[in-house]
Amino acid sequence: MIGFVLKRLLVALPTLLAVLTIVFLFVRVVPGDPALVILGDSATQEALAAMRQQLGLDKPILVQYAEFMAMVLTGDLGRSMLTSRPIVAEVLDVLPYTIELTIAALVIGVVFGIPLGILSARNRNGWADYATRLLSLIGLSFPAFVSAVLLLLVFAIQLRWFPVISSAALDDPSARLRSLALPSFNLGLIMVAYVTRVTRSSMLGVLSEDYIRTARAKGVPARLVVWRHALRNALIPVVTVVGLYLGVLIGNSVLTEIVFNRPGLGKLIVGALNQRDYTMLQGLMVIYAFIIVLCNLMTDLTYGLIDPRVKRT
Amino acid sequence: MRRFTIAAGAAAVAIAGLCAATPVAAQKTLNVAMGAADLGALDPHRTATTQDKAIIGWMFNGLVRIRPGSISPADIEPDIAERWESSPDQLTWKFFLRKGVRFHGGYGELTSDDVVFSLKRAADPKTSAFSSDFRAISDITALDPYTVEIKFREHIPSVLGILTNYQGGYIVSRKAVEALGDEFRSKAVGTGPFAYADYQRNQAVTLAAHKEYFRGAPRIDRIVYRYIPSDASRDLAFTSGELDLMFGRADQKWVERMRQTPDTQVLIFGPGELGAVHLNITKKPLDDVRVRQAVAHAINRAQIVKFRGESVFQAAVSIVPEGYLGTDEKAPLQPYDVAKAKKLLAEAGYKDGITLKAIQTSQPSMLSVMEVVQAQLKQAGINLQFEVVDHPTFHAQIRKDLSDVVYYSAARFPIADQHLTQFYHSRSTVGTPTAVTNFSHCGMADAEIDAARVATDPEKQKALWKEAQRKLIEAVCSVPLAGNTQVWAKRGKLDLGYDLKGSLSLGPLITEASTLR
Repeated sequence: MIGFVLKRLLVALPTLLAVLTIVFLFVRVVPGDPALVILGDSATQEALAAMRQQLGLDKPILVQYAEFMAMVLTGDLGRSMLTSRPIVAEVLDVLPYTIELTIAALVIGVVFGIPLGILSARNRNGWADYATRLLSLIGLSFPAFVSAVLLLLVFAIQLRWFPVISSAALDDPSARLRSLALPSFNLGLIMVAYVTRVTRSSMLGVLSEDYIRTARAKGVPARLVVWRHALRNALIPVVTVVGLYLGVLIGNSVLTEIVFNRPGLGKLIVGALNQRDYTMLQGLMVIYAFIIVLCNLMTDLTYGLIDPRVKRT
Repeated sequence: MRRFTIAAGAAAVAIAGLCAATPVAAQKTLNVAMGAADLGALDPHRTATTQDKAIIGWMFNGLVRIRPGSISPADIEPDIAERWESSPDQLTWKFFLRKGVRFHGGYGELTSDDVVFSLKRAADPKTSAFSSDFRAISDITALDPYTVEIKFREHIPSVLGILTNYQGGYIVSRKAVEALGDEFRSKAVGTGPFAYADYQRNQAVTLAAHKEYFRGAPRIDRIVYRYIPSDASRDLAFTSGELDLMFGRADQKWVERMRQTPDTQVLIFGPGELGAVHLNITKKPLDDVRVRQAVAHAINRAQIVKFRGESVFQAAVSIVPEGYLGTDEKAPLQPYDVAKAKKLLAEAGYKDGITLKAIQTSQPSMLSVMEVVQAQLKQAGINLQFEVVDHPTFHAQIRKDLSDVVYYSAARFPIADQHLTQFYHSRSTVGTPTAVTNFSHCGMADAEIDAARVATDPEKQKALWKEAQRKLIEAVCSVPLAGNTQVWAKRGKLDLGYDLKGSLSLGPLITEASTLR
């Protein structure tokens, strides 16, 4: 098992290095000037030049690249150009919010998605199947910011159950849960839709396998056939989707974060992009790359748990 | 038993927590939302973006101030300085400071040393975005702890104007700037009614009442200034009662809808921001004045105003925003006349029309205006091609002189000089070392602009500004479209404590007298 993990990590290293270089170049190729963003539109060229020098933007690009790489290798991501705070501290400030939102959305997705997928597969072409498929199609095609506004209109404005500004302090658990409810539901809806569809199609495939027919012929109760024999085998594609989507979720939660006014990684990266905070952008990209690699690794490991054959290959 | 003790302990902690929370809830917290993603900076000398101006206005004072609610230089009154005098030639000014003005957070009493430091900092391009405003200052000295002398090289339109509670005129604490270094950007220290307390990136800045404020302790205890870039969620948070004051939209439908919302007041105030299409006179075919005249005649201002809504937009009267000191309110702008535009194009040898390129920001409020302009120009055979880019890219590229046509909207200190100098003086031309925002490369009114700046006779000064506007309009350096006012909304429970007609900080001032019921 350890060998398996190590091998996966080793493969990830060159990927990370390439990502770092591309990130560094991309961030600087994007037109725009952080000094201008900082100083505003009536600043003179002189003031802008002074600011660029202060930000270290006047150094040759290769020097900047070497400094960046050296920093990443020593585990230091530098400081934000705008706030002068360490990037790691900025990320740690918002990370709990992103993690709780992602996990909550994931849980909602799995808890509702898998049973719905099974229901759909077992009633193939029945009304329950059509209803589930229609719902999941709606879930997939509905833009997150539209569903977010609708949720707010109903639950925050009409019913007043939840706040519109979902950024409760970290030290107040009940307020925090209330803040989390709508955003996680919004993000979870898409997840439910994905999981339902994948579970359904995977389940349909498995249900037509010979061993299922054999189990049925032997008189195993229908419920046991589905939940014990079929589900385990049908889960592999589901885990793949959930794993892949986890990374997407962390990045794509930005719309949800903006509409619900939550702090989070997505908002941090969009903010850094708008303000051309180069160092922050770089740092975040590095962190994202790590997260994606980590998600993939976890997915691989989960395969091993579900299907022991994976470990041996 | 042990389990019971733990449970009882936990309950006690919970109850204590609830009790401790009560006085916090009784505090008067003003919840504000800004339509931006994040703070730029709180350092007043180093930021000129709209999202920072309002909050900075609540934290700082100037030597003098324009009475809250007004933007007229005629309403200038004492702020940190309790009185001032000037030499007969108006080149030497003495300011006598109030005693007992205290900085936020234990940075002590403000003295003339802070004033000298602050104004020198504002005049230095290395530390300030507004250094050009202070170019005429030759020396600033502290005569004693409560007296400052400022000497000018030449006469300027309004000495008190550059020393008001606005941009470079804000006074910062010398000790704080030196102690905090780079951190001063987000933890700035001033003398105003509210002090920095906390900042959460992309979320909010929290200000706390400055109990030692020299005009008296503020009646509002805390201000949470949130960054909510999404128009929809800002409106929703306001509707649900989570906000007391918010940045609005210069949009007729929005204003009408908010006016229907119970317990809501839409605040419409100055200064006017003027949107103008700047034409680069060095690029073909715009180097031919007839082509530029054709562009001017093809634009229908009335239609743009109708499109954007009459309660927040007014057709431009000149190339300087309406109502500024020195604006020619009846400037000879080219009237809308498509036939004449076509004729002028034909005369210039472009019978089959022309194509112009504009780098255009994707910001919806600006892009939508330019789409109307694009459709209007098409009628005259002028094909305006957009290259749509995100807002920071737009700002960087137009300053590199990459766009034939630049649509730019701005409000400045309400004296014609700043607007004319920054947009139409050759010294401000983009691509030069002293560049600001002269996108047209015009310079034909330099003499008038410079002469007006140092003129001592107000009538003569006005005449010079008028002549400068005439020349620049005749040369069609830009086609001014429409001006819009500032739009915010507030709840009935917030009483600003003054009559809001205008605010140089582009947001309602929250003063020590503002209350929250």
